[in-house]
Order: sequence, then structure tokens, then C-alpha cells
Amino acid sequence: MKIINLKSRFFFINEFGILFFIIFSLLVVSFLGQYSAFNGEFDGFVQKHLIRIVAGLIIMLLVYLIGLKIWNNFAYVFYAFTFVSLVVVGLLGSVKLGARRWIDFNFFTFQPSELMKLALILALARYYSLLSPLETRELKNHACPFILTLLPSMLVLKQPDLGTAGILFCVGICMIFLSGFPFKTFGVLIAAGLSLCPFSWFFLYDYQKKRILSFLNPDSDPLGAGYHILQSKIAIGSGHILGRGFLQGTQSKLNFLPEKNTDFIFTTIAEEIGFLGASLIILLFCALTIYFFWVASETRRSFPWLLCHGLGVLLFLHVFVNIAMVTGIIPAVGIPLPFLSYGGSSLITFMISCGLIMSALSRKKQRIGV
Amino acid sequence: MSASEKAQKDCKTRAKIIIYLVIILSLTLLAKLYMLQIHSFKKYALMSDKNRIRLSPVLPKRGRIITSDGKIVASSAHKYRLIMDYCSDKVFEKNLNLLGKCLTLSDQEKQRIIRARKSARPHMSFVIKDELSWEEYAGVSMDLFKFSNLSLETAYARNYAMPLEFSHVIGYVGKSDDAVQILTGKTGVEAFLNDQLIGKIGNLQTEVNALAKKVRVTDFVEPENGADIVLTLDSEIQKYVYDVISEERAGACVVLDILEGEIIAMASAPGFDANLVSNKMTYNQWKDVAANQLFPLINRAAVCVYPPGSVFKIVVAFAALSEGVITPWNRIFCSGGVKQDDRVFHCWNRGGHGYLDVCGALSWSCDCFFFEVARRLGVEKIIKYAKKFGFGSKIGIELPNESAGLLPTKSWKFSRHGTSWKPYETMIVGIGQGALLSTLLQAAVMMGKIYTNDYNFAPTMIKGKKKERGLAPIDQKPLEIIKKALRQVCLYGTASRSCNAEYGISGKTGSSQVRKMKTEEAGVNQKKFDWKFRDHAFFVGCAPYNAPRYVVAVLVEHGGGGGAVAAPIARKVFDKLMERQK
Repeated sequence: MKIINLKSRFFFINEFGILFFIIFSLLVVSFLGQYSAFNGEFDGFVQKHLIRIVAGLIIMLLVYLIGLKIWNNFAYVFYAFTFVSLVVVGLLGSVKLGARRWIDFNFFTFQPSELMKLALILALARYYSLLSPLETRELKNHACPFILTLLPSMLVLKQPDLGTAGILFCVGICMIFLSGFPFKTFGVLIAAGLSLCPFSWFFLYDYQKKRILSFLNPDSDPLGAGYHILQSKIAIGSGHILGRGFLQGTQSKLNFLPEKNTDFIFTTIAEEIGFLGASLIILLFCALTIYFFWVASETRRSFPWLLCHGLGVLLFLHVFVNIAMVTGIIPAVGIPLPFLSYGGSSLITFMISCGLIMSALSRKKQRIGV
Repeated sequence: MSASEKAQKDCKTRAKIIIYLVIILSLTLLAKLYMLQIHSFKKYALMSDKNRIRLSPVLPKRGRIITSDGKIVASSAHKYRLIMDYCSDKVFEKNLNLLGKCLTLSDQEKQRIIRARKSARPHMSFVIKDELSWEEYAGVSMDLFKFSNLSLETAYARNYAMPLEFSHVIGYVGKSDDAVQILTGKTGVEAFLNDQLIGKIGNLQTEVNALAKKVRVTDFVEPENGADIVLTLDSEIQKYVYDVISEERAGACVVLDILEGEIIAMASAPGFDANLVSNKMTYNQWKDVAANQLFPLINRAAVCVYPPGSVFKIVVAFAALSEGVITPWNRIFCSGGVKQDDRVFHCWNRGGHGYLDVCGALSWSCDCFFFEVARRLGVEKIIKYAKKFGFGSKIGIELPNESAGLLPTKSWKFSRHGTSWKPYETMIVGIGQGALLSTLLQAAVMMGKIYTNDYNFAPTMIKGKKKERGLAPIDQKPLEIIKKALRQVCLYGTASRSCNAEYGISGKTGSSQVRKMKTEEAGVNQKKFDWKFRDHAFFVGCAPYNAPRYVVAVLVEHGGGGGAVAAPIARKVFDKLMERQK
């Protein structure tokens, strides 16, 4: 029986056709984008990136094979473990680019804050799945999830990593909202939170203040804080409809673009493939997010429902914040673009997400409840 | 509907809200992308190009200047400059130490390099060494691979083969004032024909990265080298003339070939080293040139103006004969002085010349004769003929700052000094003194006009540039008498001591006063005066007599007497010319 079960789980091509199409498209774009961002040199970084992609695919399958039940059962443990590693990284982590974010295992480094995103979603989904729909209408039951959200957010904010902290916080709030937090109270709290925003100015670091100021007035210092965004806008803007062509992006090849393979990978790609290609990428991300939500709507249980929504929100927040940042809609915050940015932690986080989504969908097919 | 179902429905509503939010935000991104990539494409494309494209000029090779006998007197030679791109302090120090091994850099030079780096604009390259010797070039280019940010650049240096002899004719070059800093002619033929010599600047379009480091060449427009210029001047004659005239403190000499209408030598002494002025000159070297009391930078042949003195008497005599105020046989008595406006105007010969006809007056350069002739002519008529013979206007030679000289008239005097013309001034103009000013070249051209019988005679300095003006024949009758008189000058007149050559020289001497002479100084040897108070010595002549071909005009600044100082120099030049003609 178990063997048949395992076998049926491998017949995923039919079931996951759309998901695989989107993910493979994104991974192909990711590879080519990195290849271009490293000036067409395969050896070294791009090779490493390809290995990460393959490793990510394997991890995705492993996560899928583990099954949602185990993830459900170990959600709190996972959360606790990640939380502890966050504390550890705050104390002992290695410093890169002025921030304490990484744990350095000898052969690879890892950002617990990336893992925290998943752990938070899993933990919140687990928490709410244990509540009855009526219990979610009571305010006191939301206190615990709020603390679960706030604590890691504060820790990440101290690293300092405003972007990731904001995303953690937003994902948590979204999940609390989705689980059934009273509508009116939510509205009031959001309004109150927004009105308090100006006071947060006093808690920001200098470089964060500078970014916000340069965002509000980008021409004030085109070679200083506003430089990155301006160069990014120039790169995207000069792409036109069809772009400059693969490997022909001058802004990225000539290093006018900062962080061209990580946070600004979208710029690198948009310069070379133009409006048509870039909007296709946005549509792919949008489709993937909606696919996540669709999987959620297909499940009947509250743990996978919340999990899928959480992962969808997480994915889309990354996409939106990153692209909005590189196109100059919002101030510069360091958020990687899912799948496309160079870097293992982010890639693996989203591959795990996809694995979880696959589990959720397959469980729905098998009609096995938690 | 149970409470549980209601709650489930509520959750679906919330999920829908999230989906709508996702769609709205995605559309926002697409709209922004549209704004950037399609709506504002032109703006950003321009900014992108500005970012990455650098245009750098590629200098053409400046044209050579060649003399008529084929000697290359001005040429452009490659020079190599060592350029360093902008780099960090650490890299700079390392490079400087490494450089010390393949170049010999003195501490002073090192200091200069450090200063150059400081004054260079951020991220811009700067010059390490401007002119590398061949050994240095070889040494550096061997080791160039060791440095990431060093490059060798080719430029051109101007090289003059006969820098002193041709200094005023060819002039010198300097860097242009704009950013290109191409060598540009500053004086002489270099300046006058700069457009032809300079060529066309090429363009190297390179892509640079954010650190302004060149990445690749995107476009290259080759420079067009400048055209060569062939002068009518003869290097051998020029050198000879310059050497002869240099024996005096200051002077000039012009040699014309009137058959060809060409200038074959034009020298001004003292000359300056054009190589020094054009290329690298230290402050002290410049000071030596600039503060020199003899003003070596001035061209005494075509730019400096002098009162022509007795040389001008040729014009006055011709005017008088043409206008009929005298006949060739008319004699006028010279007593050694003429009284006019309560002043006595002396002849240079205080004893007087007695009765003289026009030939005799020219031969002995009698002043009293010309005082009388000028008085009869009136100033306007003298000026009219002076203009015909080329005085008072530029000859149109290929030099940028040729002087026109000055022909004083009644209206000129009134507008200049606000006073009316006095009769004695006409008399002074009649002997080529007073406000009258001309260049040596004008005097030479006057001789050219006489011996080509053509008012339109105008010499050129550039081969193939002879202008066809058509003939404007000079009235032969008075001209023959003038020619006869000029021959007599050299046979038994003022220049007879030095210019009585077998091939036959005709000419006229001139000694123009530079100040009002005091009565007690009359007849005193000029050499007893201070140098700067001595007369300017002139001689203009033409030879050979049978077939006039060469005109030589000599000026010795403050030389004393024209017959004693200028004529012997002219004789030497004529001898040289005749020797060459054989």
C-alpha cells in the first residue's frame, strides 16, 4: 500500500503541470539572468548558481515527499529551532556588508531569517488549524500569533534588516487577517499603525533615513544615496519594448548597476529583454501567486489553506517589494527577487514553498485529511 | 447557515481581498514598467548613453612644411605619453614604485606626478610622463602588462629642422585652448595656413564602466592628416641670409624672385628657437625670450614698421616725373638746407650737392631736391603714388599679422592729432620720414613692381599660390629714368662702394632717422651715438641689371647709414644669389 502511495506521488507531472511550467520558466530566466549578470562567464558563480538550482529542485521534491503531515506536526519545533538560530546569529553570526545575518557553516552560510519566513507561516497555520472558526473571532486567540510574528520581526530588525523584518511582519499580519481576525478591529488597528508610522523615523538607522529621503527627492544626490535607484531606472528605461538583447545590457555590463545579480537582478534582465519580457516575468510571478491561492481554495482543511495563502503572500510580497524598489516606486530595501536573485537561502526558501504547495495539492487529490 | 459555514465563507471573502490586492499591485508594477520602458524610454536611453559613451579625440598628424629645394623644415614626430587611469592610493603607490624600476623618475618628477593625480578630476586619467624617450618607451611597454591601469598614448610633437632661420616665417605652434589640445599654429605660416596643416581630428568612441575605465571601442573615425605645405623659400638662401643679417644686432632681409613672383628668403634677426617655443619651455627660457630687449619674437621683415627714409624717394621721384612737376632735365639747387615755416631743414650733406637733376638727386639721395619736389607735388599726390607702389596696405603675404604701415594724409593728421597739415610735413614725407611708416617687405615689393613694370606685382610664400591679378603696367617713360637713376646709385652713388658688381646691381640706400637731430650733432659719425639713437639703415636693390630677377631688401635696425651698413649686406646676398643661379 505504502509503495503504491509513494508511486502515485511520483506521478506528479499531470497534477503539477502548471506549477512546473511556471517554476521551470522562472528557473531558466534565473539561470540566463545570472549568466548575463556575471558578464557571460559560466565558470564560478553561475556554475554555483546552477548547482543551487538543481539542489533546490531536489529539496523541493524532498519536501513534497516528506508530506504535509510531518510539516504540520513539527511546525512548532521548526519555529523554535529557527527562532533560536536567529538569536544565535544575532550574537555570533558572521558580519557581511555591515549586517549580522548569516550563520557560517564551514561549507556554506545560511540566513536563519530566510528560514524564519517559512517557520512563521507553518507555525501560524498550525496554530489556527487547531482553532475552530468561531474561536478565531475572539481577539484573545490572536495574541499568541501576534507575538509569534513580532518577536522574530524585532530580532531581524536588529540585525539590521528592515526589508526582511517588514516582510515577516506583513506575512504574519496577513495570516492573522485571513484566519478570521475581526474585520472592524483590524481596520482600526491598521489605521492606528499607519498613523504611528511617522514616529518610527526616530528608530531608523541613518542609512535607512538616507534611503527614504533620497526616495522622496531622488535628484537631490544623484551620485550618493539616490545613485542605485537612478541607475536602475536608467537601465530599465533604456530597455524599451524588446530590450537591448541578451548579454547586451550596458548598464549592468559596465557596472553602473549596483548589486546587479542579487537585489537588482530584475533590472539586469529588464534592460536586456525589454518591456515584453519584463512584464512576462511579472505575469509569471502573478500566476504563481494565484496558483498558490488556487491550491489553497482546492484544499478543505484549514492548515493547508492557511499555509498556501501564507506562502502566496510571502512570494508576492517579495516580488512586489523587489520590483517596486528597483523601479523606484518605494525606497530602497534589500529584498531578493524569488528564484531570480543570486543567493542560496532565498532560492531554497522558495523551492521549499513550492514543495509544500505540491504536498498540499497532492493531499487534496488523495483526500487524506489531517 | 451555521456559524461555522458563515465563518468559512468569511474566510473566502478575505482570500478574495488578498487576490484582488495581488492583482492591483501587479498592475501597478506593470504600469510603472510601462512608464519607464515605453513612456520615458527616450529620456532614459539618453541617460544610459551619457553614462557609458566617452568620446575622445584622435589627433591627426600635422602637415609638414617643405622649402622649395625640398628640405623639410617643419615636421611632426611621434611622441609617447604615459597615462595612468584613476586608481586607489594603494594601487597608485605600488605602481609608482614599480615604475621607478623601468623609468628613471627623479623625486621632483614624482612630486609632479602626485600633484597631477591630485588635480585630475575624479575617475579621470592623468599624465605620468609627457615625452618618453625611445629607451623609456621600450622599457615601459615591455613591463606594461604588470600594470592594470597604465597606457601609452601617442601624440605628436612639432619638430623644426632650421628653428632659428625660419622662426618668423614658419612661426611656432602651441596647444589649442579647447579640451582637445591639438597643436595649433600661433604665428607665421603655421598660423596662417593652420586649417590646411592641422588636418581633421578623428574620434574614438569608447564605452566606459562606472569607474570611467575604458571597456571597449564602439566607434572609430580615423583622423585625416594635415596637408603638406611647400614654401617658395629656399633653405640654402634663407640660411645664408639669416646668418648674414645675424651679424648685426637686429635687422631683416627679404629676397624676392620677381620673375616667379616668389619670396625666396625672409629673415629677421634675432630669431628665436621655434622648437623651444613650440614644445617644452621652462619658465626661465621663456623669460629670456620675452624679456629680450631686441624682441626676437617680432618679425622685422613684415610686421615691424619703420620710416622708409630715402628708399621712399623713388616713389616721390616717380610721382614728380609722372605728374610733370619736374622733367628729367630739370635741375634743382641744393645748398645744404631749406627754410620752411621758420625752420631750416638740412640735407644730410651739410655742404650741399649743388645743382642736381632727378638722377643725380636719387644717386646722392639729396634731401633738398626732394623737399622741393614734394612741395611742388603736395602730400596727396605723393600718397596716391605711394599707394600704387604698395605702401599703406598689406601686401597679402601668407603671414597672419602683416602690417599695413602708415601713409599720412591731411585728413589722417586731423583725425589723429586734431591739427592741420603743415607744409613742412609734406617735405618730410617727401624724404620718407615723418609719420610715414612701412615694412621692409613693402619696400621690397615696391622694387618688384618697378622691375616687373607691373603695379599688381605681389609675391607669395607658398608654392602654387600665385594669384593671377592681370597686368597693371607702369608708365614706362618715368620708370626708365628711375631705373637709370637706381643703376647710378650703385655705380657711383651712395652704394657705389659696395654694390658696384659686374652683374650689375640697381638699388637705393636709405637711412631713416629715429629722432630729431640736434644742430651740434650734424655730421657726427653715427657710431658715436647710443645704439638706439642711430639711424635705421636700408637698402633695396635689384639684380642682375640686364635681366632683373632678384630683389633684395635689407634693413639693419639702428645700423647707421644705408650705404655703409645695409648695402654691403645686400651685396653679399646678391653674390650668393648669382652664384646659385649659375
